[in-house]
Amino acid sequence: MKYAISVIKNAIGEFERNRVRTFLTSLGIMIGVFSVVMLLALGIGLKNYLEQQFEDIGSNVLFVFPGQGFGGGGSFGQAFSSFANSIQFDERDYKNLKQLSTADYVVPGYITTKQIESKYEKTAGSIQGVNDEYDELFNFEILAGEFLSRSDISSRSKVGVIAETLADELFDEPDDAVGQTVEVDSNLRIKIIGLVKDIGDPEQDNSIMIPYTTTFLTINPDKTFLSIYIGVSDSSLVTQTKKDAEDILLRRYDDDQFSVIEPSEILDTVTQIFSIVNGVLIAIGSVSLIVGGIGIMNIMYASVTDRTREIGIRRSIGATKSDIMIQFMAESTILSLLGGLVGLLLAGIIVLIVRPFFPLEINLSTVLVSLGISSVIGIFFGSFPARSAANLTPIEAIRYE
Amino acid sequence: MIELKKVSKHYTLGEEEVKAVSDISLTIKEGEYASILGTSGSGKSTLMHIIGLLDQATSGSVKLFNQNIEKLKDNEISTIRNENIGFIFQSYNLIPKLTVMENVLLPTIYAKHKLDYDVQKRAQELLERIGIGHRADFHPNKISGGQQQRAAIARALIMKPKLILADEPTGNLDTKTGDEILDLLEELNDDLGVTIIIVTHEKEVADRTKRQIYIRDGELVKKY
Repeated sequence: MKYAISVIKNAIGEFERNRVRTFLTSLGIMIGVFSVVMLLALGIGLKNYLEQQFEDIGSNVLFVFPGQGFGGGGSFGQAFSSFANSIQFDERDYKNLKQLSTADYVVPGYITTKQIESKYEKTAGSIQGVNDEYDELFNFEILAGEFLSRSDISSRSKVGVIAETLADELFDEPDDAVGQTVEVDSNLRIKIIGLVKDIGDPEQDNSIMIPYTTTFLTINPDKTFLSIYIGVSDSSLVTQTKKDAEDILLRRYDDDQFSVIEPSEILDTVTQIFSIVNGVLIAIGSVSLIVGGIGIMNIMYASVTDRTREIGIRRSIGATKSDIMIQFMAESTILSLLGGLVGLLLAGIIVLIVRPFFPLEINLSTVLVSLGISSVIGIFFGSFPARSAANLTPIEAIRYE
Repeated sequence: MIELKKVSKHYTLGEEEVKAVSDISLTIKEGEYASILGTSGSGKSTLMHIIGLLDQATSGSVKLFNQNIEKLKDNEISTIRNENIGFIFQSYNLIPKLTVMENVLLPTIYAKHKLDYDVQKRAQELLERIGIGHRADFHPNKISGGQQQRAAIARALIMKPKLILADEPTGNLDTKTGDEILDLLEELNDDLGVTIIIVTHEKEVADRTKRQIYIRDGELVKKY
């Protein structure tokens, strides 16, 4: 204990004597840890954000996409090529899937960005072509008015339900939106009949939902859908429903022309992608850590030369090789750890500042990994100079001028 | 206590082989107060370094405190230095960044066995006894050469060693201060019975010790 205190005290004494050198040396590790932590925070934050998006939808929803995007196996290349020459769903597919006995609801999905104009403002927003069951998919909270009704769909009503963010942009107060009329691309007038609360998805929150039948008039003349969602109330029926949906679609299409996916499959894929991306980011950040480690090694070699005589004196009064080794390794490790700690703190501050605007997250394992890596760097890069210090012969060291 | 048998130390300097110490056999008993006298380059310092386990002989056998040194590992040798040998150097060799007290306590940090006394108290007592108790918190560069050498003596004594090796202990000091340091060493030998070997090139210094060992060109000689 006394020994440990003396080693640490000694190291801190060295840092105090060479403040500028200590700062500059640990700067490399500081920057390295800072960038690694920021990259990890970005990776984890984005991943959590996407997971949150899927959680909003719920796990009992099947996604029907054209092509073999997610979960179909194969490479990205295959996925994209199959996406490129694949089919587009139309009303017939939607109606066919509606026959599923185990489906709680079936919603067609169409979304496009359009110029939207109220009597006050003009802005770009999303127009979604959906049906009256779309609110069940997200469990929207209706703030004012009502959601689209079945008759709105069948009669191709020019009505829409607006989300809070877009309503706030187009009108003085979001609450004013209900009852007002907006113009989409100057050729479609939509009466707002409802206002829903934001769900945290930028695309959804900045949209007006109108009957899909209404989109067929001008916006979506091809009368296609980008996707179809199937809600299943009983989670034990999800797999069966998926199979039934595939059977229905197989009557029209080949099995590589569409995919029916459970959210968990998408999540798995997303998680997989992010672990690869994170790995690459960490590898990039590690380069700066290695450079920082070399900086420490360089300074420690200089320090060994500076203190050759001191090493000789310590050896003459009984310090063993390992005592000398420990002394120098303690210095390099504390130096590196301090750099890591400051880098981590800086990253933490930046994350706190940016967090309200962008999903960034530092978790416990990031903290532990960054501090662990900085200690390992200090130990590894410090071990070479420390060994050369320990291997000085006492008599040559003490005579060193 | 110290038994050297046909000890030689050779090393090569460029292409020339230098015999710093050749075939020296020597016995020094416990409690002796001896000096090794020789001119510069006579091999006296090399001999002291071999006795003090700072250097290794090329051939011959060294027995110290009844142990054959050749068989010991580096950390065992370090421990012997730590526990049983105190060094006093011409240039004091205190660590400048540490205070006098910290310098004196330094050997205790490397002690491999638990010490049965209060090191802090002993260090203060030693400094008092040696006459620099009031300089304990000073850094070496703030005190005189004589005081630095006294601090070095206190450091050499802190671990209660059996042997003190002093390499030109008065070399950097004026005559009066040098005499005081020698008085002090004499006192330690008388009072504590510590074996002391002084290495010097000054006849007057050697004359104050009880036994003189003469060395010339790496060999022992009867008379200087």
